[in-house]
Amino acid sequence: MAAAVATSKWKTRRRRVYQSVFQTDITQPTPHSTPSSRFTEQGQPFGGHTPLSELKHRLHNANYALAASPDPAPGTLQPPSGHRNTTDDPDHRSVGTSSSYTPTVAASFASPTQPPPTRHFGLQDAAEDQMRYDRAWHVVTLRIALPASATAEDSFGTLASESQYQSQGQGTSSESEFYEALRLVVNAPTALPRAAHTEDLLFWHTQQVRRHFAQHVLPLLSACAEGLLGEEDLRDPTGRGSYEKHMIIVMSSVRTLEAAMRLYSYGMQLLVRGIQRVQAADKENAAADPELSAGRFRRDVHALVSNSASPQLMRSLRVVLVHLVGNTLGVPAQKQGRQDRDAETTRPAPPTENDLNSLASRKRLLELLDPLYSVGLAGERFQILFAEVMDGMMSEFVKGAYAGVWASPTEQHGLVRSTSITGLQATSPASSSPCISSLCNWVENHYARLAIEVLSRITDDPSQPPVTLSDVKTYQSLALGRLAALRISELFDIVLAWPSSRGALDDLRAAITTPARRLQLTDSFAEALRRRLLHPGRSTLEILQTYIAMIRTFHALDHSKVLLSRVSPNLQLYLCGREDAVRIVVTGLLASTEEIRAARMEKQMREEKEGMGRGRQARTPRSGAFMTPALPPRRGLRSRHGTPDVEEAGIRDVPPPSASTAGGTHSTKLVELALLMTDPVQSRRAGGADEDADLDWNDMSWVPDPIDAGANYKRPRSEDVIGTLISALGSQDTFIREFQVIVAERLLSDQARFDQEVRVLNLLKKRFGEAALQNCDVMIRDIQDSRRLDGAIRKVQGVQDGEQPRPPPAATPTNPKTRSRPAPPSASPSASSTEAPYHARILSRLFWPSLEREHFLLPAPISEQQKHYEQGYEHLKASRKLTWLNQLGQATVELELQDRTVAVDCKTYEATVIYAFQSSDTTPARMTVSDLEDQLQMDDDLITSALSFWASKGVLARRGDTYIVLETAPASDQALTSSAPGSPEAAAESEPAAAAVVVDEKEAGRRAVYWQYIRGMLTNASATMPLGQMAMMMKMLIADGFPWSNEELQEFLGEKVGDGELEIVGGKYRLVRK
Amino acid sequence: MEDIQNSAPGSVPAGKLGARKGADPSQNAAKRLQTELMQLMTSPAPGVSAFPSADGNLLAWNATIEGPADTPYADLTFKLSFEFPSNYPYAPPTVLYKTPIYHPNVDFSGRICLDILKDKWTPAYNIQSVLLSLQSLLGEPNNASPLNGEAAELWDKDPTLFKTKVMDRHKDIGDD
Repeated sequence: MAAAVATSKWKTRRRRVYQSVFQTDITQPTPHSTPSSRFTEQGQPFGGHTPLSELKHRLHNANYALAASPDPAPGTLQPPSGHRNTTDDPDHRSVGTSSSYTPTVAASFASPTQPPPTRHFGLQDAAEDQMRYDRAWHVVTLRIALPASATAEDSFGTLASESQYQSQGQGTSSESEFYEALRLVVNAPTALPRAAHTEDLLFWHTQQVRRHFAQHVLPLLSACAEGLLGEEDLRDPTGRGSYEKHMIIVMSSVRTLEAAMRLYSYGMQLLVRGIQRVQAADKENAAADPELSAGRFRRDVHALVSNSASPQLMRSLRVVLVHLVGNTLGVPAQKQGRQDRDAETTRPAPPTENDLNSLASRKRLLELLDPLYSVGLAGERFQILFAEVMDGMMSEFVKGAYAGVWASPTEQHGLVRSTSITGLQATSPASSSPCISSLCNWVENHYARLAIEVLSRITDDPSQPPVTLSDVKTYQSLALGRLAALRISELFDIVLAWPSSRGALDDLRAAITTPARRLQLTDSFAEALRRRLLHPGRSTLEILQTYIAMIRTFHALDHSKVLLSRVSPNLQLYLCGREDAVRIVVTGLLASTEEIRAARMEKQMREEKEGMGRGRQARTPRSGAFMTPALPPRRGLRSRHGTPDVEEAGIRDVPPPSASTAGGTHSTKLVELALLMTDPVQSRRAGGADEDADLDWNDMSWVPDPIDAGANYKRPRSEDVIGTLISALGSQDTFIREFQVIVAERLLSDQARFDQEVRVLNLLKKRFGEAALQNCDVMIRDIQDSRRLDGAIRKVQGVQDGEQPRPPPAATPTNPKTRSRPAPPSASPSASSTEAPYHARILSRLFWPSLEREHFLLPAPISEQQKHYEQGYEHLKASRKLTWLNQLGQATVELELQDRTVAVDCKTYEATVIYAFQSSDTTPARMTVSDLEDQLQMDDDLITSALSFWASKGVLARRGDTYIVLETAPASDQALTSSAPGSPEAAAESEPAAAAVVVDEKEAGRRAVYWQYIRGMLTNASATMPLGQMAMMMKMLIADGFPWSNEELQEFLGEKVGDGELEIVGGKYRLVRK
Repeated sequence: MEDIQNSAPGSVPAGKLGARKGADPSQNAAKRLQTELMQLMTSPAPGVSAFPSADGNLLAWNATIEGPADTPYADLTFKLSFEFPSNYPYAPPTVLYKTPIYHPNVDFSGRICLDILKDKWTPAYNIQSVLLSLQSLLGEPNNASPLNGEAAELWDKDPTLFKTKVMDRHKDIGDD
């Protein structure tokens, strides 16, 4: 509707434009032109036919200019061309232009094929012939002359022009007169041998058409193109939005051209018919086939049209093509950018059999082609345009239809597959990939089909099939190449989405068949890796998770691991810089069954959720999580970063037995590894048992090594994620050492059972062999043995444990060979008289990672028990002694305060510190750090940390340097609640303060040490030294580094000078001698 | 919350619980000497001190011993030089008296006869223990194997003459 209104509006506007530019009345049959002086001099008797003669002169002029031959031979029907008929010319020329002989002309006098020049002809005869010729010429040309405004009618496509022509023609000459004249003109060389100036009628017509086209049709065409488009349309680069307008432009241009064509061919047909008739009557002179000339004329005009098609028209044509082809092929137009394409609706998809939109577009397109072809717009430029559009469509289809579609949408494409005739799928490994088969189908059944239909309509040579089967295959391989490029660019996301992205790998595997493609793939992936993963913003856990996904993805992609080996070195190098990598892997391996279960459930839930939005799945949720800088909680990691030392963090990582909640623990652990560990496929290659796998004659899936494999390439046997991961982290030894440390931590924790550790140990043994993991074996046995031993010792000593032993605190080993760690007992400050049960774990020193011993005094009742226990042990194992590792144990503490009882499981040093408060005789009990240090001989770091621990439990409160026991809980509920869960504010406040004290103490200690250095230096190294040298020596000699600047040192030395310890002599310091 | 409370302070002792890794053997001597220096500085023994020489070479030290009271060497200070082999502490340092000293177990060029600096050396000794041994040697010379026979004789026979000889021989050396 809207289109129709627009059309009629536009028509009236166009008419107005036209009328303002052109006069609408009939003008001269031939255009005016100023006769050249040269021809008037020759005095040709043209009588009253001025316009004609002028035209002729003009044409002569043109010919002279165009070619060396002065006179076109009128007798030939050849269209004008530069080299035409020079041999015919001389005689005419000798008469008409006697003054201008040229050597060429002279030479051709001797030509035997021509009648000898007749010098007897009088000028009189010549003039008469010429006059007759001119008259005949006039008759003919008047008949076929083009009206200047021929295409001015309002309604294009009517036959008005023809009737107009006829009436016009009849008005001037009758049929027979025309043919007679035509005969004269055509056969001028024989009929009017003395006419000096003759013309090629066809050439004249062609020229006339050209001029007419340029003067009248082109302005109309540009009016068509410009009248309709608003600024907005011109700015729109694709133009797809304003398809209707562009369609109108194309259609009106085509109609204008059609009308012009009718005009041109009408004249031509007259000529051709006439000439045929003339030739039929006069067989001798059948010089050339007029049909041939007519064909040539048509080509000429087509070339004219297609070469003069304006950019605007081509642009409109492109828009129209894009729209129609797009609809036909199922590639929908994209409106205003990609944002508002909502997932499924605008995705390109192969049109179904009865897709009305597609069918209509196809019909419309094919309808459009015929007129285009007939007016000459379907020439080379159109074909290029069409090729470009088709090319764009293929890219768009591949990108639109398959980007992010990694799952297998089998139902959707299943039915079309069978219709393929190329058999490409059957032979290529791609047959398994739904994307590839659907793409091949699309190319074959839609793309190639459209190409055939279109090209066959515009081809000049119908005998040749426009698209051959091999072309179709080329299209398919092109499409596959594009799909591969798409997948390669997506590869990183594919890896992230593993395993839901398997489908995409099928596509890729089929496509990366050449080394070049494989190289492109690895290059592009390595780049993505660098850009998106290997930077400080990614946690080690994420990197490891991605690496696992990479190993699996690339293994699925390429069993040979050649590809993986090309992309992973960077990653491995980067991982080496992450100190916590090994630890994460090991803790991942040791993930408890609850964690595994939780992870599985979460995975299932996620899959179910994603299951609803199939097709796009995987991508959005997962990559979303990876794109945002805000990452899942990483509490465990952070504490690890803080302390390069591993043990502590590991202890913390042990999940509280009660807290096996799914969400929290999952994201901080590499649970995948634990899953993989139990996967039988993964552990298949236990310990290189099948070393000769290459010789496995029964391996039906054997394929040769890829051609880009290195010289020493060794075929890997299975996916073996864990093996690859471990080798990426350095040597097996590093891994085992780390494993040992972590297992040690876990064994020393208060876990009751160690099933998981034993299980993992056994699995690792399969992988690394028994010997490598012997230490771990011993460690586990130690723990088991000490349980027995513990019981035995207690029995021997007759200790009655009134209560069941609590989680056995660790105690320990012994003689040169063993070491012991203490197991502090439950201490209860208020009820110290009751004997607390005391248990120990005994470790064989040589097999455990070295554990630092921390000295402090245990509470008296405990150390008594400890001694007791030690005696019991030595009694049992006479040759061994226990060395106690007091700081590694656990204690259960019950504090009876005035208004409440607090029961806490804590570390032994924490228990010791709180126990010490009991000895304070003030009420409430109060102690300072240095009091405690004196009393317990404990490291002040430990004391501070223990005090903060108790403060966080709401048992202690800090008052300046002093800690006091809170006998009554803080009055307000708020304070109570905030302190019970470990009041963050309170902690935040107290810690910096505590830190300040510590810093001061530390600083003082440091200054004392530095003073010792300076004294030692001045005593022994050199009695006097300048400041600079002293600073240099200090920097060099102090192992932990010397943080002071020269100025600070100078200030410090200045103080000492002030104290009378130092003196400055000649700019150098020296000790004051006493 | 509790965990955070717990872990932040907990990270302090972590360093103490950790395994200490063995250092690269070639670095051992320098590392060990640095550590010994730190020990000397943090817990200095009375009457002895030592420090690397001013040229910054960790393998060459100077030391000072004050003569113990109640011995002929009371109120005297003696300078010594230590040369450490690169495989220290598996081999003993070479120790010489720089200050001239009249002593039964020290010859006139300052060389010392002390078993722990020869065959009785073990890596368990350190600079401080060597210095303390030397200090005690001043009060209790080993007259059974003298380097200075006259001194050994006089030690027992004529303590006064011995003291005179000590004072004659002693001469404070300045560094500069």
